[in-house]
Amino acid sequence: MMRRMLFFVMAAVLLAGSAAYAHHSYAATYETNKEIKLEGKLVQFVYRNPHSFVTLEAPDESGMPQRWAIEWSGSGQLANAGVTRETLKVGDAVVIVGRPSRVPGEYRALMVNLKRPVDGFTWGGRAGQVVE
Amino acid sequence: MVKANQVLVLLAVGMLVSVPAFAQPARPQIPPDISGEWRLENNEADTTAQPPLGDYLGIPFNDAGRQRSDTTAESIWGTPEYQCRPHSAPHQWRGLGGARILKEQDPLTREARVYHIQFMRSLDRPIFMDGRSHPPPWAPHSWTGFSTGEWVGNTLKVTTTHLKDGYLKRGGPQTSDMYTLTEFITRHSDILTIVTVVDDPLYLDEPYVESTTYAFDPTASVNMETCNASSFAENGGSDRHHVPHFLPGQNTALGEWLKREDWIPAAAARGGVKTTYPEYRSTFDGSVNVGTLSVPSSRSANAVAKRIADQSPKDGEVHIMPVQGNVYLLIADGTNITVSVGTEGLLLVNTGSAQMSDKVLAAVNQLANATVTPPTPNTCFGANCPGVWGWSSPYMNAVISSTAPPKPVRYIINTSAAADHIGGNEKIATKGFFPRGGGFGAAVENIGRAASVIAHENVLNRMSVPAGKTPAAPAVAQPTDTYFDDLHKLPAFFNGEAVILYHAPAANTDGDSLVFFRHSEVISAGNVFSTVSYPVIDVEKGGSIQGVIDGLNHILDLAVAEYRSQGGTWIIPSRGRVSDTADVASYRNMVTMMRDRVKDMIKKGMTLEQTKAARPTMDFDGRYGSTTGSWTTDMFVEAVYRSLKEKK
Repeated sequence: MMRRMLFFVMAAVLLAGSAAYAHHSYAATYETNKEIKLEGKLVQFVYRNPHSFVTLEAPDESGMPQRWAIEWSGSGQLANAGVTRETLKVGDAVVIVGRPSRVPGEYRALMVNLKRPVDGFTWGGRAGQVVE
Repeated sequence: MVKANQVLVLLAVGMLVSVPAFAQPARPQIPPDISGEWRLENNEADTTAQPPLGDYLGIPFNDAGRQRSDTTAESIWGTPEYQCRPHSAPHQWRGLGGARILKEQDPLTREARVYHIQFMRSLDRPIFMDGRSHPPPWAPHSWTGFSTGEWVGNTLKVTTTHLKDGYLKRGGPQTSDMYTLTEFITRHSDILTIVTVVDDPLYLDEPYVESTTYAFDPTASVNMETCNASSFAENGGSDRHHVPHFLPGQNTALGEWLKREDWIPAAAARGGVKTTYPEYRSTFDGSVNVGTLSVPSSRSANAVAKRIADQSPKDGEVHIMPVQGNVYLLIADGTNITVSVGTEGLLLVNTGSAQMSDKVLAAVNQLANATVTPPTPNTCFGANCPGVWGWSSPYMNAVISSTAPPKPVRYIINTSAAADHIGGNEKIATKGFFPRGGGFGAAVENIGRAASVIAHENVLNRMSVPAGKTPAAPAVAQPTDTYFDDLHKLPAFFNGEAVILYHAPAANTDGDSLVFFRHSEVISAGNVFSTVSYPVIDVEKGGSIQGVIDGLNHILDLAVAEYRSQGGTWIIPSRGRVSDTADVASYRNMVTMMRDRVKDMIKKGMTLEQTKAARPTMDFDGRYGSTTGSWTTDMFVEAVYRSLKEKK
């Protein structure tokens, strides 16, 4: 009986988490041992499952402005952490630390943490605030 | 003394006992029912999670398969054309979420006519049990392919063809789009065993075999994962056509996992048929050399070179296939001709070679005849039927009637001046008719009855003057209407839809066009796209690798998938099978990778000969390359090299 219950719990966990899998794995897409810091203005916030995206206009290594796609948790997980579709607005000045793409020259990163200096809003590092 | 009635009873009993043996044949074995809800029971690492990058253990890769996988970037899933692709067929049984198997029965015999298999990340996959044949090689490929099944004892053997390119396992090991999948599905009480055999000789030295176990679970329910991807590229940047990939040798992530699993020999982790057999262990201590090691490997049953060639059959015949809406595909001795058929007449995109003209005309007439409305029985009697005017009896009109002749070819569009695009112009245009006035007392015949021929003006420039020993094309074969801008619209709807030509500058030549049938949702791609060869690039005539890539990206901008990155807008290549956005995206990716590889070699100062010797196309040569014929791999590499090197 206990074993059967355990199975149902496991199945529920797997199914609940499945939306975050989609096709790609974070470890295969991003350099999990490296971090980059980006400072710029938010130009798009796609709040959805299985992954949300923040698009940031920020300079690359050479100082040229680029559109960076920052992959974030699914809307379900973000909602649990208190992030709603109203939390971020286009034009917000933010500082994002992320893990860079494994493909050289690609302007994408996996969210590690986000800070909005104007009001002190932060996400990342605390319990439930990890993209996984 | 035995009484008569006792004898009768004994006789009757004897007859009843013996009747089944005499009168009824042995009952055929009833195959087990595999329908129901099934729960995945495997707990191997690759069942739900993704194996680490570079983990090719147990995969009988050849060099091409290994390079194809090494150079594939996981970021590809962020491109708009990939975001909604379901799991690849070989991985479906190992994907998360279980399996649902449904059964369609014949209402009379109650035999299973079709099984349907559904996974969380799949489309419905029918398995036809009624003995039908597989579609022709020029039919589209899909994520689930085309499956037929037959019972072999208690095992259902499923054969699947017409699959798109994908992966053996998530995250790396790639397949071509020419593999076949054979599944052996066996039910043992409440356990289902599925043995899958992936036969992909382009990338594997022997078929790849896996087994997966499911358990019957009536409480399970396979959810459908809907796709809510966006059209924006998730890879950042401002180039929506960005193709992430690694140059050969530059994927540094492949060995990372071996630092954690340092007990695994690095050579074994690279896969290969010899690494999959126990005999391979003898190489660990150096007592046996891998090169001389012999293993009892099995052979492929997939005649892949023939199957690729059969997509463009050079058999001297014309094959007809309906595509979508008004549009049909004619394959004339391997060359694709797109035909719009309707009540206004016919429009041909390209006309095939000159020697095929008669057979093409016969096929065109066959299609035209199908559009003619035959006389139908009258349902109103008398002279006052609604909607009828005049004094003639509709009853008489309906009975005394004959079928109108089919409408002629009105337009020919040439997507280039290639011989197999314009060869049939003269004969087919002459048989056609385009009304060019006739007013002011002039008879139509005096103005000319030929079909209108449309092309980019550079096509006319080529056709109207001799080229070497080739004389100028006859006047009736030359374009009558040309354009020089980035697009050209037919002046009015034809067969109820807009038909638009888009110029593909400096693609295969300087005069290529894409033709978009806007209501039928079909694009005739001309030489920009082929499913049987590398793109034919004529640098002397203004072609370039970048122009081909731009042309392919233009197709992807125009086309929309129906669902899950397949179907929707159909794309007809110059040669090969009918395709969709996923196929064009895969081809675009390949061409882009070839550009980047050759560009990198030029950057390193390599000569043309050194570049050819380095085989930048190695992992796609089995699929698109050729060492003979009018367009070899060497010619393609040279064209890429020259068009990049000579770029101003």
